[in-house]
Amino acid sequence: MIKHILTLVWNKKRNNVLMLLEIFVAFLILFAVFTFTIYYLRIYQSPLGFETEDTLLVNLAMDQEMDSLALLEMRQQLRREIESYPEVEAMSFLSGITPFSGSMWSWGNDDNGFYMQTAIFPTDEYYQKTADIELAEGRWFEEEDYTGTYPPVIINQKLKDTYYPDKPVLDSLFTLDGENKIVGVAKHFKYQDEFSEEIPLTFLLRPLHHNDLNSIQIRLLPNTPAEFEAKLNEGLARITKRRDFVILSLDARRERTSRLTWIPLIAGLSICGFLILNIALGLFGVLYYSINKRRAEIGLRRALGATKGEITSQFTLEVFLVAFAGMLLAAVLAVQFPLLNIVEIPANNFYWSILATMLLISLVVLGCAVTPSRQAAGIHPAQALHEE
Amino acid sequence: MLNLENISKVYRTDTIETLALNTINMKIEKGEFLSIMGPSGCGKSTLLNIMGLIDEPSEGRVVVANQTVADYNSKATARFRNEHLGFIFQSFHLINDLSVLDNVELPLLYRKVSSKERRRLAEEALEQVGLHNRMRHFPSQLSGGQKQRVAIARAIVGRPEIILADEPTGNLDSVMGNEIMDILLRLNEQEGTTIVMVTHDERMAQRTHRLVRLFDGSQVQ
Repeated sequence: MIKHILTLVWNKKRNNVLMLLEIFVAFLILFAVFTFTIYYLRIYQSPLGFETEDTLLVNLAMDQEMDSLALLEMRQQLRREIESYPEVEAMSFLSGITPFSGSMWSWGNDDNGFYMQTAIFPTDEYYQKTADIELAEGRWFEEEDYTGTYPPVIINQKLKDTYYPDKPVLDSLFTLDGENKIVGVAKHFKYQDEFSEEIPLTFLLRPLHHNDLNSIQIRLLPNTPAEFEAKLNEGLARITKRRDFVILSLDARRERTSRLTWIPLIAGLSICGFLILNIALGLFGVLYYSINKRRAEIGLRRALGATKGEITSQFTLEVFLVAFAGMLLAAVLAVQFPLLNIVEIPANNFYWSILATMLLISLVVLGCAVTPSRQAAGIHPAQALHEE
Repeated sequence: MLNLENISKVYRTDTIETLALNTINMKIEKGEFLSIMGPSGCGKSTLLNIMGLIDEPSEGRVVVANQTVADYNSKATARFRNEHLGFIFQSFHLINDLSVLDNVELPLLYRKVSSKERRRLAEEALEQVGLHNRMRHFPSQLSGGQKQRVAIARAIVGRPEIILADEPTGNLDSVMGNEIMDILLRLNEQEGTTIVMVTHDERMAQRTHRLVRLFDGSQVQ
């Protein structure tokens, strides 16, 4: 029967070419949207590696002419002030590179015997507690590290897996701008945004007098009321003698950053929804038209001994084979993306997208084909043959 | 071979009730070539459709090849049609998108026959109607007479016991009509196939073993 239907589909190729093209184009669009959706959702599902709940970020505007001593003194004052609030669980100084800020500092060299590139995240010894960072091995920075022989660094697991796979890294030296000692490995730290892939990263320990520690991350006790921000605001203004600083919620910033990806993703998926609806309506139309045009053929087949089930299967299979041919052609094109490495997305994503697209289109095609095909099977043979 | 017992057929709409067949009793023997004649609308095709199990009588019973088919479900009826009956229609009813060979193979598609065997049987059937050299052609490339010969090949490919022909020469000129009639007679004589033919043509009807005349749904001869 399959051979017979293939012959029929092939002999009707002129009639089928439009449907095949529709499926071909729809497949490519769905494939593209699915690829990006799967890619971004997988990243979204991967752990962030730090806490954003009950956390405030303060971007300070420091006087550029302040010397390191004055900076140290002011930051110590700020620390004392903030830590004195009962609502505060922990606080850390950071550079302008804060979570979800869009700022990034990257460093690359080949001083370690191979080319290595890492993002840099300067902070202090309290950041693990403030951000609740989980370590895979080693420890976080300690106060003693300020006076150690080598400046300490903490790398993330991604850096270790990328550049030191299967090698012990703790206490080994690592050249960035001079030699540093690796004291710990953080499991994850996806600080750019929830939809950005984690990249190799190095935490640098910054002393309080360093001029780039212009941000503060504050971890509050759960259920701290929003009025606390007013108190914090007053305290910061009193010490810095300025009011041009910004206090914001890290959670809100995280959501705002994520929205930049969610919106196009949802828009793409909505387009896909319309596309699927379009295919479904098109298929219904084509099938109803085809069945009306082929009533005599249906009557003949029934007279020659085809059961209702065989008529339903024939029409469903005919449509499915045309759709399958369209999907196959599009899949051949789609598979070139991972094979030729055209886009920097893991190959797996493409293969899953091809599978998901095929499944979805197949389901829609079968779903839309069954009803008109059943209707075809219900045609009374004597009546259909008489009409001709 | 084929018994019709008290067959009546009534077509009903909301307002009108039309009696298409009125208590027809008919017995057709094995190997018989029977023709049915009558004016348009007298119920000839309805009777043939009931004999072919593609229509159901409103009343009465059909017994084909010693089997009462009235109680068959739709699937069993379809199987019965496929295995025991062959159909020839006035307008040929060939599928234009299939080659002659594929058209002839059609009834065998609904049986458990291998594709190789299907091909062999279809070629044999086409040989019988003298169209072996046209099997790769499409219906649109054939004359009316050739189309009807393809339809005959399709009707005989499954070796049915009964062939039901609804005005098989109705769309053909007299030469082609005679050719088709010769083939049917040969099938009847040589293969022993029972044939029931509806016709308007008195000459064709005279060549058959027995003639039944219908008028307004009733058998008059």
